[in-house]
Amino acid sequence: MVVFGFLDWFWLVIFIVLMVVCGVLFFKLGKRSMSDFFLAGRGLPWWLPAASVYATHSATDTPIWVSGVIYKYGLRGLWYTFFSAWCAISAFASTRIFRRSLAYTQAEWQTLRFSGLGAELLRGWIAGWQVFMNMFVLGWVGIAMGKLCRFLFGWPEWLGLILFSSLCAVYVLTAGYWGVVMADFQQGVIAFSVIVLVSLWGIAAAGGPQQIMIKLGRLGQSWRLNPFAFSGWTSGDFPLVWFVTMLVIAVIGGFGMGTAIDWYPEAQRIQSARTIRDASYSIWAGTALIIVRNSLWAVAILAFFTLYPQIQSTADYEMAWYRLGFEFLPVGLVGFFFAAIVAIHLSTISTHLNLGASYATRDLYQHYFNPRASDKELVWVGRVSTFILLLGSFLYGLMMQEITQWLIFALWIMAAGIWLPSILQVVWWRFNAWGYLSSWIANLGLSWLIVWVLPEFRVIPVLPDYLQFWLMMILGALIYIPITFLTPPEDMDRLVKYYVMSRPLGRWKPVREQAQRQGLLQTENQPSGGGG
Amino acid sequence: MGWIRKNWTAADADRWTKEDYLTFILSPLIYFLLAVGVAMSLLLLWYGWVLLGVSVILLVIMIKIIDPKLKAISEDYEVKQKEYLEDLEKIARWED
Repeated sequence: MVVFGFLDWFWLVIFIVLMVVCGVLFFKLGKRSMSDFFLAGRGLPWWLPAASVYATHSATDTPIWVSGVIYKYGLRGLWYTFFSAWCAISAFASTRIFRRSLAYTQAEWQTLRFSGLGAELLRGWIAGWQVFMNMFVLGWVGIAMGKLCRFLFGWPEWLGLILFSSLCAVYVLTAGYWGVVMADFQQGVIAFSVIVLVSLWGIAAAGGPQQIMIKLGRLGQSWRLNPFAFSGWTSGDFPLVWFVTMLVIAVIGGFGMGTAIDWYPEAQRIQSARTIRDASYSIWAGTALIIVRNSLWAVAILAFFTLYPQIQSTADYEMAWYRLGFEFLPVGLVGFFFAAIVAIHLSTISTHLNLGASYATRDLYQHYFNPRASDKELVWVGRVSTFILLLGSFLYGLMMQEITQWLIFALWIMAAGIWLPSILQVVWWRFNAWGYLSSWIANLGLSWLIVWVLPEFRVIPVLPDYLQFWLMMILGALIYIPITFLTPPEDMDRLVKYYVMSRPLGRWKPVREQAQRQGLLQTENQPSGGGG
Repeated sequence: MGWIRKNWTAADADRWTKEDYLTFILSPLIYFLLAVGVAMSLLLLWYGWVLLGVSVILLVIMIKIIDPKLKAISEDYEVKQKEYLEDLEKIARWED
């Protein structure tokens, strides 16, 4: 339990008012059109969506998760957080391609890239899944706040969940994405400052870097300082093959769209940037900040380990970073720390409320129910969808218990079977809607079978997560590759239109040649002038 | 760095070239060095500072390589964007 002084309450109230008012101030911009309500009119300079990328992916549950993996694995745990590196290549590959498509959402992109019934089914599927997924994320992030408030103040979990998500909904409902991104900028600055402050404070509390290393040596735990302390090629709790799998997933995944669950919020930020260049830099810079943040946290958690090396319970050591702040910061700064936690929380909640609503509005309501709806009506549908997502998130939040388990499942397993198809849809012209749709359906079945059902009935042993990934990728390919070849390619006119607009990379030769024959593109030999 | 192309025509910039492929290599490498470099620097280990320094140098090189091309792509595309957006709205309203 933490006891707040006057100064603590002062910081907290001031920051909450500032964050909510900052968002609400953009009410007039947000209500102008659907493009404003969901994409801030596609006019943002790179640093605004970059701050939003950073703020969104710093959630209340993120330090809990990072604390868990670093306390357990030492600095090797950094690589669990390195999945965000998919943005390294994505910023200059799939981001560019997606920004050129101008699709509001990933679901809409499916109907620009594919055609016919398959494309429509994909759009409906991804839109519905994203509405569900955003509600799910809101629930798990929300309940993390509930757990934290119970830990700090002894509140029942539902109170922390409902109170802060509702506060956030005030500016998301009024100003839409304008409110989200403007509040994100302010929240990102507060959160990053406090993460630096608390992490350095924690390192100092453990006696500084030298003392941390000496204490780890005395405890016989110096391996924790080595990010490359593998337990073997395939054996132990941190095998090299896991590391290689993670690098492949993260880095190569950047060529695709939807290879990581974070792609979907990033897609919204990409479209809100004013140019392709701004979109690329926003994704790159936001993720660079995330990587720096993770390393800051990692060293702070090592410091915590030297202070409390004997904690066995996962739920207890997952609170490591929070404990550094609440146990070691002086009175007055504790409220500042909690205000930053609220900032971290609101930035994530706001994004997922608005993102889920964008799929419900653009891809479900407008696309299937009322294509000719006015902008005013669509903004209102966006608000109603936001409210429904908020209510749904309360329900999901109260159903979840083990945060780490859900997170690892979502990050790793849920994406395994669609990782390769999500790349193929970008880089291979022949991959069609039926292939992609079948990969989704196959993945849903395979992930549950391989992770839970078959091991439960002892048909197969419980496999390490990297093996689960490769197995699901291979089994999935055995389903969607034949389906792709057994069904006709996409309509060539649609492919040409998509190619001319988006200029994808990879195997697009037949489409490129067709576009050249139609005079829509220059041939390779045609002089284009310029040079360098 | 004379081998880095600074002037791009719209048509050339739209093609995937060696500048893009170099960026695909440099960008994850920078993230990797940044992750390890920051952690090691916080522990005041000398090689942490070296890794951090290398990541900053590579970042500058990467921007020098890709920025002229990104500028050319963006400038050309923004001219066409209005027309593309109108087209997209027609599709959204089932008019196309």
